[in-house]
Amino acid sequence: MFWHCLKYELKEVFRVKEFVLWLMLFPIVLGSLFKVAFGSIYSTEIFRSIPVAVVKTSENPVADNLLAAMTDGEDATLAATITDEAKAKELLEGGEAEGIIYIGESVTLTVARKGMVPTVLQEIVSRCNLYESVIRDALATDPASVETVVRKLSAEVSAYREVSTSAENPDVYVQYFYNLIAMVAICGSMTGLHVSTSNQANQSLLGARKNCSAAPKGVYLVAALLGSCIAQSASMILCVTFLRFVLRVNFGGSLLLLYLSAILSGFLGVAMGFFIGSIGKMKHEGKSVIAIAFSMVLCFMSGLMMGNIKGILALKAPWVNRVNPVAIISDSFYCLNMYSDYRRFLTKILGIVIYIALFTVLGVVFTRRRKYASI
Amino acid sequence: MKPTVVKIDNLVKRYGELVALDHFSLEIKEGEIFGLLGPNGSGKTTTINCLLSLLAFDKGEIEVFGKEMKPTSYDTKREIGVIMQNVAVLDELTVRENIDYFCGLYISDKAKRKACVEDAIKFVGLEDFVNFRPAKLSGGLLRRLNIACGIAHKPKLIILDEPTVAVDPQSRNRILEGIQELNREGATVIYTSHYMEEVEQICTRIAIMDKGRKVAEGTKDELKGMIRNTESVSIEILELPEEIREKIAHLPHVYETEYDDTKLTVRCSGGRHNLIRILAVLQEAELGFGRVYSELPTLNDVFLEITGTALRDSKE
Repeated sequence: MFWHCLKYELKEVFRVKEFVLWLMLFPIVLGSLFKVAFGSIYSTEIFRSIPVAVVKTSENPVADNLLAAMTDGEDATLAATITDEAKAKELLEGGEAEGIIYIGESVTLTVARKGMVPTVLQEIVSRCNLYESVIRDALATDPASVETVVRKLSAEVSAYREVSTSAENPDVYVQYFYNLIAMVAICGSMTGLHVSTSNQANQSLLGARKNCSAAPKGVYLVAALLGSCIAQSASMILCVTFLRFVLRVNFGGSLLLLYLSAILSGFLGVAMGFFIGSIGKMKHEGKSVIAIAFSMVLCFMSGLMMGNIKGILALKAPWVNRVNPVAIISDSFYCLNMYSDYRRFLTKILGIVIYIALFTVLGVVFTRRRKYASI
Repeated sequence: MKPTVVKIDNLVKRYGELVALDHFSLEIKEGEIFGLLGPNGSGKTTTINCLLSLLAFDKGEIEVFGKEMKPTSYDTKREIGVIMQNVAVLDELTVRENIDYFCGLYISDKAKRKACVEDAIKFVGLEDFVNFRPAKLSGGLLRRLNIACGIAHKPKLIILDEPTVAVDPQSRNRILEGIQELNREGATVIYTSHYMEEVEQICTRIAIMDKGRKVAEGTKDELKGMIRNTESVSIEILELPEEIREKIAHLPHVYETEYDDTKLTVRCSGGRHNLIRILAVLQEAELGFGRVYSELPTLNDVFLEITGTALRDSKE
């Protein structure tokens, strides 16, 4: 009986035009529009090893060490070509180098344009000069402390590198795609809502009809919930696959965890809708309006419509971002992308799982009734 | 004596101050087509919802097939077919899928279910529409689908709650014939309606409800035997002097006359040749008259005499 109910739940969900439109086609259209809108900015702003030409005019061990640290490894901040001035200018003019770093008594920089990359280079050069002066002062005032100073500065250089390079994709615009995925997930509330209202005798005719059948309520209710979760997972997988492989949005991190996070987020949407549907005696249409309005407010607060709202809330009312399920979903993608270790990501996933459990348990508590005071 | 299928004892259901069912009792025997007749708001659907354990009630007991009816009485529910007042089907499934879905809530065996679904499709005459979705069906066909969904699992007790509301005459006749056929095949039927003609046509026993109470119960002849009226004579007449009306009112067996400027209605209790005697009075007075017709009492007359209001005029 369970599989029978599940089979027809799936048949029904995938034939609902609104489901196909809003949870499968709309994210593809909106994602494509985002890509078109941010495309040009996107292509220039992605962080990568910055190609630079290095011209050495005199010996500067501090600058040499710093440069070595910045160019070491596959995920190096800088891709340096050590050459003479003429060749360096040629590389700069040809666009093969973002700037020329002159290493002499002090370190100087020449760039050909403005933007994020030259700003990063300027920061590197400034730090280089700062470290050099700190070490020179240490040598002049307290030679014994030089070793300690060098060790501290080395640690700082490493940390600087860590921030620059472990952030696999510090593209601010990818945040919109996180929010888009979060929106698709939370729109799963519509399928969850349908599960709740179509199985309660005081909410719909269909609910009344099912309630007087020979099937235990738990069987068709769980089958309907599972069917909705499967359908929602399909829409999440489609959305992520389209963004990642068709639009080539760089989400960074593990692809498997990205899908896992998206699927769990979809479950959260379904559970939220199930919970909303289980409260009170209002009919399906009224609850649909509530669920859509609630979802849109959550999406707005997580920055889907206005990118910086999340930052504003982080300053003014940080608890909002901590409890907003859409923000948690969006943050889980962000953490997966931005941090090498999965501690923060797992914290967000735990938050999602807690919400799923909470909404589902409350929904079941409210819908478990088998007799109604009025229909 | 046939076994009791449904027993409702002293049922009370209140919605706040409103008493929807007021100490309502009923006993339905196997093989009956039992009619619950009453105006809208008389408590028919509430009775059915209590019977199906959908509604909580304040007082009373309900037994179906000799067992107390509870929400978890799944074995009992397996033997009950429900056709609700409003069509309750899944919009995204086809006719065949809908019938299969509801049948599957009662029968797990696939082969058995398939045969039941085919039988139900044939029974309601939806063979040509099996791949249609509900939105493509007319009101009558939709009602037939609703019935097929309710009876596909071949229940022993079938509950039909106003199944012919907003149905064209052709579909209505088909539905009524179908109910009688199901009954002939062995099903006990509970049929609620506010259409007295339907109830009179198919029901073997009838309970008349008003304001949550059972006001009368019996076969249609027993019900009609409860009232004084045995014949109503109606005559279209444009002018009727008061003395002639008085003369008619004093004829043997006449207990009530009514004149509304165009039509004289004379109600008689017993006796024979009442119509001839009335026409003789009019001829003697040389009064012209139009159409004349004589009617035997209907359930509406029963309802009218018992409650003081006509069944058709009653409001929720």
